[in-house]
Amino acid sequence: MESIEKKLREEAKLLLAEKRVDVIVGFEKGTLPLVATPCFIENPDDAEKLVWNACCTQNLAKFVHDVLSQHRASQVRVKPEDRKKKVVGVVGRGCATRSIVLHLQEKQYDRDDVVIIGVPCTGYIDYKKLSGKLGGEEVLDGAAEGDQIKVKTASGEKAIALKDVLAASCLTCRFNNPVISDMMIGDPAPPMDPDHEYDDVNAVEAMSVEERWAFFEKEMDKCIRCYACRQTCPSCYCKTCFVEQSQPRWVGVGEDETDTQVFQIMRMYHMVGRCVDCGSCSSVCPMGVDLRKFLKKLDKDVFELFGNRPGSSLDDQPPLSAYTENDKENFIFNP
Amino acid sequence: MSENKASEGWEPRIVAIVCNWCTYAGADLAGISRIQYPPNVRIIRVPCTGRINPFYVVKALQEGVDGVLVSGCHPGECHYITGNLHARRKFAMLKSFLTYIGMEADRTMFTWVSASEGERFAQVIKGVTEAVRALGPATKMVKKI
Repeated sequence: MESIEKKLREEAKLLLAEKRVDVIVGFEKGTLPLVATPCFIENPDDAEKLVWNACCTQNLAKFVHDVLSQHRASQVRVKPEDRKKKVVGVVGRGCATRSIVLHLQEKQYDRDDVVIIGVPCTGYIDYKKLSGKLGGEEVLDGAAEGDQIKVKTASGEKAIALKDVLAASCLTCRFNNPVISDMMIGDPAPPMDPDHEYDDVNAVEAMSVEERWAFFEKEMDKCIRCYACRQTCPSCYCKTCFVEQSQPRWVGVGEDETDTQVFQIMRMYHMVGRCVDCGSCSSVCPMGVDLRKFLKKLDKDVFELFGNRPGSSLDDQPPLSAYTENDKENFIFNP
Repeated sequence: MSENKASEGWEPRIVAIVCNWCTYAGADLAGISRIQYPPNVRIIRVPCTGRINPFYVVKALQEGVDGVLVSGCHPGECHYITGNLHARRKFAMLKSFLTYIGMEADRTMFTWVSASEGERFAQVIKGVTEAVRALGPATKMVKKI
Protein backbone atom coordinates (compact mmCIF):
# COMPACT_ATOMS: atom_id res chain seq x y z
CA MET A 1 0.00 0.00 0.00
CA GLU A 2 2.81 2.40 0.97
CA SER A 3 4.60 1.91 -2.32
CA ILE A 4 1.39 2.37 -4.30
CA GLU A 5 0.76 5.64 -2.52
CA LYS A 6 4.31 6.81 -3.20
CA LYS A 7 4.14 5.92 -6.88
CA LEU A 8 0.71 7.46 -7.15
CA ARG A 9 2.00 10.78 -5.82
CA GLU A 10 4.99 10.74 -8.18
CA GLU A 11 2.81 9.92 -11.14
CA ALA A 12 0.25 12.58 -10.23
CA LYS A 13 2.95 15.18 -9.75
CA LEU A 14 4.47 14.35 -13.12
CA LEU A 15 1.11 14.53 -14.89
CA LEU A 16 0.37 17.94 -13.39
CA ALA A 17 3.89 19.29 -13.95
CA GLU A 18 3.88 18.21 -17.59
CA LYS A 19 0.43 19.78 -17.93
CA ARG A 20 -1.00 16.56 -19.29
CA VAL A 21 -3.91 17.02 -16.92
CA ASP A 22 -5.49 20.14 -15.44
CA VAL A 23 -6.77 18.57 -12.28
CA ILE A 24 -6.40 15.28 -10.53
CA VAL A 25 -9.29 13.75 -8.69
CA GLY A 26 -8.14 11.55 -5.87
CA PHE A 27 -8.44 10.99 -2.16
CA GLU A 28 -6.79 12.95 0.63
CA LYS A 29 -6.74 12.36 4.35
CA GLY A 30 -10.05 13.39 5.83
CA THR A 31 -10.59 15.57 8.86
CA LEU A 32 -11.80 12.61 10.88
CA PRO A 33 -9.49 9.72 11.72
CA LEU A 34 -9.67 6.70 9.40
CA VAL A 35 -11.56 8.66 6.75
CA ALA A 36 -10.44 9.74 3.30
CA THR A 37 -12.19 12.49 1.36
CA PRO A 38 -12.22 13.10 -2.38
CA CYS A 39 -9.95 15.98 -3.36
CA PHE A 40 -9.11 18.01 -6.44
CA ILE A 41 -5.44 18.71 -7.00
CA GLU A 42 -4.29 21.35 -9.47
CA ASN A 43 -0.86 22.22 -8.14
CA PRO A 44 1.96 19.65 -8.65
CA ASP A 45 3.24 20.31 -5.13
CA ASP A 46 -0.09 19.30 -3.64
CA ALA A 47 0.23 15.82 -5.11
CA GLU A 48 1.80 14.81 -1.80
CA LYS A 49 -1.67 15.01 -0.28
CA LEU A 50 -2.94 12.01 -2.22
CA VAL A 51 -3.64 8.86 -0.27
CA TRP A 52 -4.67 5.39 -1.31
CA ASN A 53 -5.91 2.95 1.31
CA ALA A 54 -8.95 1.08 2.50
CA CYS A 55 -10.62 4.31 3.70
CA CYS A 56 -11.17 5.52 0.12
CA THR A 57 -14.84 4.72 -0.30
CA GLN A 58 -16.54 6.85 -2.91
CA ASN A 59 -16.63 6.30 -6.64
CA LEU A 60 -14.53 9.11 -8.12
CA ALA A 61 -16.11 8.85 -11.57
CA LYS A 62 -18.89 11.02 -10.17
CA PHE A 63 -16.45 13.91 -9.74
CA VAL A 64 -14.89 13.37 -13.16
CA HIS A 65 -18.34 13.82 -14.65
CA ASP A 66 -19.05 16.85 -12.44
CA VAL A 67 -15.82 18.61 -13.35
CA LEU A 68 -16.12 17.93 -17.06
CA SER A 69 -19.80 18.83 -17.35
CA GLN A 70 -19.28 22.06 -15.42
CA HIS A 71 -16.34 22.89 -17.64
CA ARG A 72 -18.39 22.20 -20.74
CA ALA A 73 -21.16 24.46 -19.44
CA SER A 74 -18.63 27.22 -18.81
CA GLN A 75 -17.45 27.04 -22.42
CA VAL A 76 -20.85 27.37 -24.04
CA ARG A 77 -20.64 31.16 -24.44
CA VAL A 78 -17.00 31.14 -25.51
CA LYS A 79 -16.15 31.54 -29.20
CA PRO A 80 -15.33 28.09 -30.64
CA GLU A 81 -11.73 29.05 -31.43
CA ASP A 82 -11.17 30.27 -27.86
CA ARG A 83 -12.60 27.23 -26.12
CA LYS A 84 -10.28 25.51 -23.71
CA LYS A 85 -9.99 21.82 -23.20
CA LYS A 86 -9.90 20.44 -19.72
CA VAL A 87 -8.34 17.09 -18.97
CA VAL A 88 -9.12 15.39 -15.73
CA GLY A 89 -6.82 12.86 -14.15
CA VAL A 90 -8.45 10.36 -11.88
CA VAL A 91 -7.24 7.76 -9.47
CA GLY A 92 -9.30 4.88 -10.73
CA ARG A 93 -9.91 1.49 -9.25
CA GLY A 94 -12.11 -1.18 -10.81
CA CYS A 95 -15.51 0.30 -10.07
CA ALA A 96 -14.53 3.89 -10.90
CA THR A 97 -13.11 2.85 -14.26
CA ARG A 98 -16.26 0.88 -14.99
CA SER A 99 -18.28 4.01 -14.32
CA ILE A 100 -16.00 5.95 -16.64
CA VAL A 101 -16.59 3.31 -19.31
CA LEU A 102 -20.32 3.80 -18.82
CA HIS A 103 -19.92 7.57 -19.16
CA LEU A 104 -17.96 7.05 -22.36
CA GLN A 105 -20.57 4.65 -23.71
CA GLU A 106 -23.22 7.24 -22.91
CA LYS A 107 -21.15 9.89 -24.72
CA GLN A 108 -20.78 12.07 -21.66
CA TYR A 109 -17.21 13.01 -22.53
CA ASP A 110 -14.40 11.80 -24.73
CA ARG A 111 -11.73 9.31 -23.89
CA ASP A 112 -9.03 11.99 -24.20
CA ASP A 113 -10.80 14.20 -21.64
CA VAL A 114 -9.76 11.84 -18.90
CA VAL A 115 -6.47 10.31 -17.84
CA ILE A 116 -6.93 7.26 -15.68
CA ILE A 117 -4.28 6.37 -13.15
CA GLY A 118 -5.20 2.77 -12.53
CA VAL A 119 -4.76 1.41 -9.04
CA PRO A 120 -5.40 -2.10 -7.75
CA CYS A 121 -8.07 -2.33 -5.08
CA THR A 122 -8.42 -4.69 -2.17
CA GLY A 123 -11.70 -3.22 -1.00
CA TYR A 124 -12.80 -0.43 1.28
CA ILE A 125 -14.13 -0.20 4.80
CA ASP A 126 -17.82 -0.38 5.50
CA TYR A 127 -18.07 2.12 8.37
CA LYS A 128 -21.30 0.61 9.61
CA LYS A 129 -19.56 -2.74 10.02
CA LEU A 130 -16.57 -1.05 11.65
CA SER A 131 -18.77 0.77 14.10
CA GLY A 132 -20.45 -2.54 14.92
CA LYS A 133 -17.06 -4.11 15.60
CA LEU A 134 -16.18 -1.27 17.94
CA GLY A 135 -19.50 -1.46 19.73
CA GLY A 136 -20.39 2.02 18.57
CA GLU A 137 -17.34 3.62 20.17
CA GLU A 138 -15.89 6.69 18.52
CA VAL A 139 -12.70 6.25 16.53
CA LEU A 140 -10.07 8.54 18.06
CA ASP A 141 -7.24 7.57 15.79
CA GLY A 142 -6.63 4.90 13.22
CA ALA A 143 -4.68 3.73 10.25
CA ALA A 144 -5.28 1.19 7.55
CA GLU A 145 -2.14 -0.85 7.06
CA GLY A 146 -2.32 -3.68 4.57
CA ASP A 147 -4.92 -6.18 5.70
CA GLN A 148 -5.08 -4.78 9.23
CA ILE A 149 -6.82 -1.71 10.57
CA LYS A 150 -5.42 -0.22 13.73
CA VAL A 151 -8.05 1.67 15.65
CA LYS A 152 -7.75 3.66 18.85
CA THR A 153 -10.88 4.24 20.86
CA ALA A 154 -11.56 5.46 24.39
CA SER A 155 -11.27 1.88 25.65
CA GLY A 156 -7.88 1.23 24.10
CA GLU A 157 -6.26 0.16 20.87
CA LYS A 158 -7.53 -2.58 18.66
CA ALA A 159 -6.38 -4.29 15.49
CA ILE A 160 -9.14 -5.42 13.17
CA ALA A 161 -8.72 -7.61 10.12
CA LEU A 162 -9.65 -5.66 7.00
CA LYS A 163 -11.68 -8.54 5.58
CA ASP A 164 -14.04 -8.41 8.58
CA VAL A 165 -15.07 -4.85 7.85
CA LEU A 166 -14.95 -4.78 4.05
CA ALA A 167 -18.00 -3.43 2.28
CA ALA A 168 -20.34 -6.09 0.93
CA SER A 169 -19.79 -4.91 -2.64
CA CYS A 170 -16.02 -5.38 -2.25
CA LEU A 171 -16.22 -8.88 -0.82
CA THR A 172 -17.77 -10.26 -4.00
CA CYS A 173 -16.18 -7.79 -6.42
CA ARG A 174 -15.54 -9.12 -9.90
CA PHE A 175 -13.58 -6.15 -11.22
CA ASN A 176 -11.19 -5.02 -8.52
CA ASN A 177 -8.59 -4.02 -11.09
CA PRO A 178 -9.20 -1.20 -13.57
CA VAL A 179 -10.93 -2.21 -16.80
CA ILE A 180 -9.32 0.68 -18.65
CA SER A 181 -6.38 2.83 -17.61
CA ASP A 182 -3.68 5.01 -19.09
CA MET A 183 -1.12 3.88 -16.58
CA MET A 184 -1.18 1.22 -13.95
CA ILE A 185 0.34 1.58 -10.52
CA GLY A 186 1.31 -1.48 -8.55
CA ASP A 187 0.57 -5.10 -9.32
CA PRO A 188 -2.96 -6.26 -10.03
CA ALA A 189 -4.88 -7.04 -6.86
CA PRO A 190 -5.76 -10.65 -6.09
CA PRO A 191 -9.32 -11.62 -7.07
CA MET A 192 -12.13 -11.35 -4.56
CA ASP A 193 -15.01 -13.79 -4.39
CA PRO A 194 -17.31 -13.10 -7.37
CA ASP A 195 -18.83 -16.58 -7.33
CA HIS A 196 -20.99 -15.60 -4.40
CA GLU A 197 -22.02 -12.18 -5.68
CA TYR A 198 -25.68 -13.14 -6.09
CA ASP A 199 -26.08 -15.00 -2.80
CA ASP A 200 -28.02 -12.12 -1.23
CA VAL A 201 -30.28 -11.82 -4.26
CA ASN A 202 -30.93 -15.55 -4.34
CA ALA A 203 -31.89 -15.44 -0.67
CA VAL A 204 -34.45 -12.71 -1.32
CA GLU A 205 -35.75 -14.48 -4.41
CA ALA A 206 -36.36 -17.59 -2.33
CA MET A 207 -38.79 -15.68 -0.09
CA SER A 208 -42.52 -15.58 -0.75
CA VAL A 209 -44.13 -12.56 -2.40
CA GLU A 210 -45.46 -11.25 0.90
CA GLU A 211 -42.10 -11.68 2.63
CA ARG A 212 -40.37 -9.87 -0.19
CA TRP A 213 -42.83 -7.00 0.00
CA ALA A 214 -42.42 -6.83 3.78
CA PHE A 215 -38.67 -6.73 3.30
CA PHE A 216 -38.91 -3.98 0.70
CA GLU A 217 -41.29 -1.97 2.85
CA LYS A 218 -39.04 -2.34 5.88
CA GLU A 219 -35.99 -1.14 3.97
CA MET A 220 -37.84 1.77 2.39
CA ASP A 221 -39.30 2.82 5.74
CA LYS A 222 -35.78 3.74 6.78
CA CYS A 223 -35.30 6.07 3.84
CA ILE A 224 -35.53 9.76 4.70
CA ARG A 225 -35.14 10.81 1.07
CA CYS A 226 -32.00 12.84 1.63
CA TYR A 227 -31.00 11.81 -1.93
CA ALA A 228 -27.44 11.07 -0.80
CA CYS A 229 -27.54 7.87 -2.87
CA ARG A 230 -28.36 9.89 -5.94
CA GLN A 231 -25.73 12.53 -5.21
CA THR A 232 -22.95 9.99 -4.91
CA CYS A 233 -23.97 7.74 -7.77
CA PRO A 234 -21.81 8.22 -10.86
CA SER A 235 -24.66 7.04 -13.07
CA CYS A 236 -27.05 9.67 -11.64
CA TYR A 237 -25.98 12.69 -13.62
CA CYS A 238 -29.23 14.09 -15.02
CA LYS A 239 -29.32 17.86 -14.87
CA THR A 240 -32.82 17.69 -13.49
CA CYS A 241 -33.64 14.54 -11.60
CA PHE A 242 -37.18 13.21 -11.88
CA VAL A 243 -37.75 13.83 -8.18
CA GLU A 244 -37.25 17.54 -8.70
CA GLN A 245 -39.28 17.82 -11.86
CA SER A 246 -42.49 19.74 -11.39
CA GLN A 247 -44.05 19.21 -14.80
CA PRO A 248 -44.96 16.44 -14.52
CA ARG A 249 -44.41 15.97 -10.82
CA TRP A 250 -43.51 12.31 -10.78
CA VAL A 251 -42.99 11.93 -7.07
CA GLY A 252 -44.87 13.68 -4.30
CA VAL A 253 -42.80 15.73 -1.88
CA GLY A 254 -44.70 14.84 1.27
CA GLU A 255 -43.86 12.16 3.75
CA ASP A 256 -46.15 9.60 2.16
CA GLU A 257 -44.41 6.24 2.27
CA THR A 258 -45.49 5.29 -1.22
CA ASP A 259 -43.67 8.33 -2.61
CA THR A 260 -40.47 7.10 -1.04
CA GLN A 261 -41.05 3.65 -2.46
CA VAL A 262 -41.75 5.03 -5.91
CA PHE A 263 -38.64 7.22 -5.72
CA GLN A 264 -36.47 4.28 -4.81
CA ILE A 265 -38.01 1.95 -7.38
CA MET A 266 -37.51 4.44 -10.15
CA ARG A 267 -34.02 5.49 -9.13
CA MET A 268 -33.03 1.87 -9.01
CA TYR A 269 -34.77 1.11 -12.26
CA HIS A 270 -32.71 3.85 -13.88
CA MET A 271 -29.68 1.78 -12.92
CA VAL A 272 -30.59 -1.07 -15.25
CA GLY A 273 -27.34 -1.92 -17.00
CA ARG A 274 -25.71 1.14 -15.45
CA CYS A 275 -24.94 0.05 -11.90
CA VAL A 276 -21.34 -1.03 -11.42
CA ASP A 277 -21.95 -2.15 -7.84
CA CYS A 278 -19.41 0.26 -6.39
CA GLY A 279 -21.45 0.35 -3.20
CA SER A 280 -21.25 4.14 -2.90
CA CYS A 281 -25.00 4.51 -2.39
CA SER A 282 -25.04 2.05 0.48
CA SER A 283 -21.93 3.53 2.05
CA VAL A 284 -23.24 7.11 2.08
CA CYS A 285 -26.75 6.19 3.23
CA PRO A 286 -27.23 7.70 6.68
CA MET A 287 -30.09 5.35 7.49
CA GLY A 288 -28.44 2.13 6.37
CA VAL A 289 -30.92 1.23 3.64
CA ASP A 290 -29.70 -1.96 2.01
CA LEU A 291 -29.91 -0.68 -1.57
CA ARG A 292 -27.47 -3.25 -2.87
CA LYS A 293 -29.94 -6.11 -2.34
CA PHE A 294 -32.16 -4.52 -4.96
CA LEU A 295 -29.54 -3.12 -7.30
CA LYS A 296 -27.78 -6.45 -7.43
CA LYS A 297 -30.99 -8.04 -8.67
CA LEU A 298 -30.97 -5.68 -11.66
CA ASP A 299 -27.36 -6.59 -12.25
CA LYS A 300 -28.22 -10.27 -12.15
CA ASP A 301 -31.16 -9.86 -14.53
CA VAL A 302 -29.14 -7.80 -16.98
CA PHE A 303 -26.49 -10.48 -17.07
CA GLU A 304 -28.96 -13.34 -17.38
CA LEU A 305 -31.18 -11.69 -19.98
CA PHE A 306 -28.70 -9.69 -22.04
CA GLY A 307 -25.32 -11.12 -21.05
CA ASN A 308 -24.06 -7.68 -20.15
CA ARG A 309 -21.79 -6.69 -17.29
CA PRO A 310 -22.17 -2.91 -17.02
CA GLY A 311 -19.02 -0.98 -17.81
CA SER A 312 -16.86 -4.02 -18.35
CA SER A 313 -15.92 -3.18 -21.93
CA LEU A 314 -15.84 -0.06 -24.08
CA ASP A 315 -17.30 -2.01 -27.01
CA ASP A 316 -20.53 -2.90 -25.22
CA GLN A 317 -23.70 -0.98 -25.80
CA PRO A 318 -25.88 -0.01 -22.86
CA PRO A 319 -28.34 -2.93 -22.70
CA LEU A 320 -31.47 -0.80 -22.75
CA SER A 321 -30.41 1.08 -25.86
CA ALA A 322 -29.81 -2.14 -27.72
CA TYR A 323 -31.97 -5.13 -28.65
CA THR A 324 -31.76 -8.44 -30.38
CA GLU A 325 -34.57 -10.10 -32.25
CA ASN A 326 -34.56 -13.10 -29.94
CA ASP A 327 -34.55 -11.44 -26.56
CA LYS A 328 -36.29 -13.55 -23.93
CA GLU A 329 -40.05 -13.27 -24.04
CA ASN A 330 -41.20 -15.54 -21.24
CA PHE A 331 -42.77 -12.63 -19.35
CA ILE A 332 -45.26 -11.95 -22.14
CA PHE A 333 -48.86 -12.72 -21.23
CA ASN A 334 -50.66 -15.08 -23.57
CA PRO A 335 -54.28 -15.82 -22.77
CA MET B 1 -62.20 4.95 -2.02
CA SER B 2 -60.45 2.01 -0.44
CA GLU B 3 -63.59 1.22 1.58
CA ASN B 4 -65.55 0.80 -1.60
CA LYS B 5 -62.97 -1.56 -2.94
CA ALA B 6 -63.22 -3.90 0.00
CA SER B 7 -67.00 -4.13 -0.31
CA GLU B 8 -68.89 -6.76 -2.29
CA GLY B 9 -69.24 -4.85 -5.50
CA TRP B 10 -65.54 -4.45 -6.13
CA GLU B 11 -64.55 -4.57 -9.75
CA PRO B 12 -60.92 -4.51 -10.85
CA ARG B 13 -59.72 -1.31 -12.43
CA ILE B 14 -57.12 -1.94 -15.08
CA VAL B 15 -55.14 0.58 -17.06
CA ALA B 16 -54.13 -0.59 -20.51
CA ILE B 17 -51.38 1.41 -22.17
CA VAL B 18 -51.52 0.42 -25.81
CA CYS B 19 -49.77 1.43 -28.98
CA ASN B 20 -51.60 3.38 -31.60
CA TRP B 21 -50.73 1.17 -34.55
CA CYS B 22 -51.48 -2.36 -33.41
CA THR B 23 -53.25 -2.90 -30.12
CA TYR B 24 -55.39 0.22 -30.31
CA ALA B 25 -56.48 -0.82 -33.78
CA GLY B 26 -56.99 -4.33 -32.42
CA ALA B 27 -59.23 -2.93 -29.72
CA ASP B 28 -61.08 -1.01 -32.40
CA LEU B 29 -61.55 -4.20 -34.38
CA ALA B 30 -62.84 -5.97 -31.28
CA GLY B 31 -65.31 -3.12 -30.92
CA ILE B 32 -66.61 -3.05 -34.47
CA SER B 33 -66.79 -6.85 -34.51
CA ARG B 34 -69.00 -6.63 -31.41
CA ILE B 35 -66.76 -9.00 -29.46
CA GLN B 36 -67.65 -8.90 -25.78
CA TYR B 37 -64.93 -8.24 -23.22
CA PRO B 38 -64.99 -7.05 -19.61
CA PRO B 39 -65.49 -3.31 -19.17
CA ASN B 40 -62.81 -3.06 -16.47
CA VAL B 41 -60.11 -1.69 -18.68
CA ARG B 42 -59.26 1.98 -19.29
CA ILE B 43 -57.28 2.38 -22.45
CA ILE B 44 -54.51 4.95 -22.84
CA ARG B 45 -53.24 5.33 -26.37
CA VAL B 46 -49.57 6.07 -26.96
CA PRO B 47 -47.66 6.22 -30.24
CA CYS B 48 -45.55 3.15 -29.52
CA THR B 49 -44.70 0.87 -26.63
CA GLY B 50 -41.15 2.17 -26.93
CA ARG B 51 -42.53 5.54 -25.93
CA ILE B 52 -43.86 4.26 -22.61
CA ASN B 53 -41.80 5.37 -19.68
CA PRO B 54 -41.76 2.48 -17.20
CA PHE B 55 -42.58 5.18 -14.69
CA TYR B 56 -46.14 5.20 -16.11
CA VAL B 57 -46.61 1.65 -14.90
CA VAL B 58 -45.23 2.32 -11.43
CA LYS B 59 -47.16 5.57 -11.16
CA ALA B 60 -50.42 3.89 -12.18
CA LEU B 61 -49.90 1.30 -9.46
CA GLN B 62 -49.20 4.06 -6.94
CA GLU B 63 -52.37 5.88 -7.95
CA GLY B 64 -54.33 2.78 -7.05
CA VAL B 65 -55.14 0.81 -10.17
CA ASP B 66 -55.44 -2.91 -9.62
CA GLY B 67 -53.56 -3.92 -12.73
CA VAL B 68 -51.60 -2.47 -15.61
CA LEU B 69 -51.51 -3.92 -19.09
CA VAL B 70 -49.01 -2.81 -21.69
CA SER B 71 -49.56 -4.00 -25.21
CA GLY B 72 -48.06 -3.22 -28.58
CA CYS B 73 -47.23 -4.67 -31.96
CA HIS B 74 -45.73 -8.12 -32.22
CA PRO B 75 -41.93 -8.04 -32.32
CA GLY B 76 -40.82 -7.30 -35.83
CA GLU B 77 -44.06 -5.56 -36.74
CA CYS B 78 -43.45 -2.23 -35.05
CA HIS B 79 -44.56 0.82 -37.01
CA TYR B 80 -41.31 2.47 -35.92
CA ILE B 81 -39.29 -0.68 -36.75
CA THR B 82 -37.66 -1.27 -33.35
CA GLY B 83 -39.78 0.52 -30.73
CA ASN B 84 -41.28 -2.64 -29.29
CA LEU B 85 -37.93 -4.44 -29.30
CA HIS B 86 -36.55 -1.76 -27.03
CA ALA B 87 -39.73 -1.87 -24.97
CA ARG B 88 -39.41 -5.64 -24.60
CA ARG B 89 -36.06 -5.23 -22.84
CA LYS B 90 -37.34 -2.43 -20.62
CA PHE B 91 -40.43 -4.30 -19.53
CA ALA B 92 -38.66 -7.61 -19.01
CA MET B 93 -36.51 -5.79 -16.47
CA LEU B 94 -39.42 -3.86 -14.96
CA LYS B 95 -41.64 -6.88 -14.45
CA SER B 96 -38.81 -8.89 -12.96
CA PHE B 97 -37.86 -6.05 -10.62
CA LEU B 98 -41.42 -5.34 -9.47
CA THR B 99 -41.91 -9.04 -8.78
CA TYR B 100 -38.63 -9.13 -6.88
CA ILE B 101 -39.67 -6.34 -4.52
CA GLY B 102 -42.90 -8.15 -3.79
CA MET B 103 -45.55 -6.84 -6.17
CA GLU B 104 -47.74 -9.66 -7.46
CA ALA B 105 -46.55 -10.67 -10.93
CA ASP B 106 -50.06 -10.52 -12.38
CA ARG B 107 -50.53 -6.83 -11.56
CA THR B 108 -48.28 -5.87 -14.42
CA MET B 109 -48.92 -7.59 -17.71
CA PHE B 110 -47.24 -7.24 -21.05
CA THR B 111 -48.45 -8.63 -24.31
CA TRP B 112 -48.60 -8.13 -28.06
CA VAL B 113 -51.84 -7.70 -30.00
CA SER B 114 -51.79 -6.82 -33.67
CA ALA B 115 -54.37 -4.73 -35.53
CA SER B 116 -56.05 -7.81 -36.98
CA GLU B 117 -56.38 -9.62 -33.69
CA GLY B 118 -59.66 -8.30 -32.31
CA GLU B 119 -60.44 -11.70 -30.90
CA ARG B 120 -57.07 -11.91 -29.18
CA PHE B 121 -57.57 -8.44 -27.70
CA ALA B 122 -60.81 -9.57 -26.10
CA GLN B 123 -59.09 -12.72 -24.81
CA VAL B 124 -56.24 -10.69 -23.35
CA ILE B 125 -58.58 -8.32 -21.54
CA LYS B 126 -60.58 -11.27 -20.25
CA GLY B 127 -57.44 -13.02 -19.08
CA VAL B 128 -55.99 -9.96 -17.38
CA THR B 129 -59.27 -9.08 -15.69
CA GLU B 130 -59.63 -12.59 -14.33
CA ALA B 131 -56.04 -12.67 -13.11
CA VAL B 132 -56.41 -9.32 -11.36
CA ARG B 133 -59.79 -10.28 -9.93
CA ALA B 134 -58.17 -13.34 -8.42
CA LEU B 135 -55.57 -11.13 -6.73
CA GLY B 136 -58.14 -8.79 -5.23
CA PRO B 137 -57.84 -5.04 -4.72
CA ALA B 138 -54.36 -3.53 -4.87
CA THR B 139 -52.97 -2.66 -1.46
CA LYS B 140 -49.24 -2.45 -1.99
CA MET B 141 -47.71 0.91 -2.79
CA VAL B 142 -51.15 2.54 -3.11
CA LYS B 143 -51.13 6.18 -2.15
CA LYS B 144 -53.86 7.09 0.28
CA ILE B 145 -55.44 10.34 -0.69
